[in-house]
Amino acid sequence: MFRRILQSQWKALRLPVILLAVLAFALPLLTVTYGGRLEGAPAGRVAQWLYGAQQIGLLLPGFAVLVGVLTGIGAWTSDHAGKHVYALSLPLSRARYVWLRFAAGAALLLAPTAALGVGSLAAAASVTLPSGVHAYPLQLTARFFLAVLVCYAVFFAISISTRRAALVVLGVIGGLLLADGVLTVMDLRATVTPTVLMWLTNWPGPLSILIGRWALFDV
Amino acid sequence: MCRAGPALLALALWGVAARAQQPRAPARALLARAESLWHRIGLQDSAAARETLRQRRARRFDAGAVTTLLPEAVGAATGSRVAAGAWAYVRDAVPVDFLAGRMAVGLAATDVEATVRAEGLGGRIRIPVGVEPGPDSLADGWTVAAELARSYRQTLDSTWRVWLPLDMGLAWTMRREGPEAVRELMQGETRAGGDCLAGLISGCRRWLGLDAAAPATRFRPAELRVLVSGRWFPSRAAVGLAHDCTVGSDFACLRLVALGFLPPIPAGPVPLASFAGYVRTRGPKGALLRALADRNGGVGDRFARAVGVPEDSLVRGWRSWVMTGGGQPRVTANLRDAWPAVLVAGLLILAASRSGRWR
Repeated sequence: MFRRILQSQWKALRLPVILLAVLAFALPLLTVTYGGRLEGAPAGRVAQWLYGAQQIGLLLPGFAVLVGVLTGIGAWTSDHAGKHVYALSLPLSRARYVWLRFAAGAALLLAPTAALGVGSLAAAASVTLPSGVHAYPLQLTARFFLAVLVCYAVFFAISISTRRAALVVLGVIGGLLLADGVLTVMDLRATVTPTVLMWLTNWPGPLSILIGRWALFDV
Repeated sequence: MCRAGPALLALALWGVAARAQQPRAPARALLARAESLWHRIGLQDSAAARETLRQRRARRFDAGAVTTLLPEAVGAATGSRVAAGAWAYVRDAVPVDFLAGRMAVGLAATDVEATVRAEGLGGRIRIPVGVEPGPDSLADGWTVAAELARSYRQTLDSTWRVWLPLDMGLAWTMRREGPEAVRELMQGETRAGGDCLAGLISGCRRWLGLDAAAPATRFRPAELRVLVSGRWFPSRAAVGLAHDCTVGSDFACLRLVALGFLPPIPAGPVPLASFAGYVRTRGPKGALLRALADRNGGVGDRFARAVGVPEDSLVRGWRSWVMTGGGQPRVTANLRDAWPAVLVAGLLILAASRSGRWR
């Protein structure tokens, strides 16, 4: 059954997944556009190079979000289009069907992740690093997969959620903004939204994986 | 007759004027009321002036070895917080005996002499602190701490006075200034900075000006030419040297550094403060205090002796610390990173499987 669902998901998402995989392969290679021989490089070259690596690193969390959004929403596109008739016709409980869908989508995430890993390894292999600078291809790939998994899970759950759940989420967001507005009007120094965002993005917050260090080459 | 006419006229006019000067009853009442009001306003003004003076009267706040005289208006809580904050900034950098001989005096404070006499602070050197009496103007004590640090810096030998940032970099934090220090290292155009970034510890030593060697050895002439361009020089001799440097004389460029017309250290105050911050926070207790009290050798030697490690180890540790934002590896994907992600994904799937559009 998993194979059938994976096949249907692949059919629906193959174009974006292939494009994302190509992009994922290319991103780490951008880091080495300054050249590969850095041992004994002139002053400023290593600096430019590391700075470039950092800038490319800044793109990676955004790219992970993009992959998560596309695959998370795309996982349910065919079901939404068919009004869930296909799902209801299967001899499966809803919970099992959701898990299978999720697993199939997560399997598709492996394509861009593997492409990023291959790109990172190729980039790392193509440079001679000066002492004190290291490459992190495996850590970067694993971090990318974790980030993509979180984003995928969020948008997967949002896509299949009921209207009531969507309203609750929107209500919570609106409530936070309203609370901030009230606190500002009352001239109180407390803030709600930044505190919640801080909680979400600082470890062990669920989005903390997106924040932090993402450079392929660093000290 | 001719003489009596003007006299009569003058008499008549005097009579009219005298009558006009006498106010009538309602006018007299109004006048009395106005005078009463004027008097009351005067009293209120003087009461307000007295209150203002009372609010500005100097009051003593102590924390650790820091003594401050601040206007009464800052309030007890704020005053204590300021003194405690200042003490927290200077406690591991400025010796207690130096602080015991000083007191920070808010410029807006009045009746300072009376407070000094009453509190027995007569023998202390006063360090003016330019703050307004409002409760928010002193922040967390940094204004006071910075003045104390500047004052202490002036008592150090010339090696430290050249090397240390003006406020001794005591407010340096990894979170706030760490990225700026790394950015300066990455974007700097000096060979020393490039070498440091590439992992050469000798490059870091030169970039941070830790060696006792002449400042000119830390730069290449081409780098000095970049520094010279667009800079203003105070004397004709310096202008001449700057011109010679610009048109290609390496000797003139190096001479400008030797004479102090160009900065002697490639790194700016933020990276220098990061090194002091590293010694202070990562070294043994009191390391920065001991280093500042040391008067032998270059800055690097002094720091290394204070920490008790070879200079190269210290510099290597600093490089790794500052470039990794406090010692964290740059890119991580370990169990610590993984479990929140997996937990959140699992919870979301659980939620999605329990309710949905067709249930």
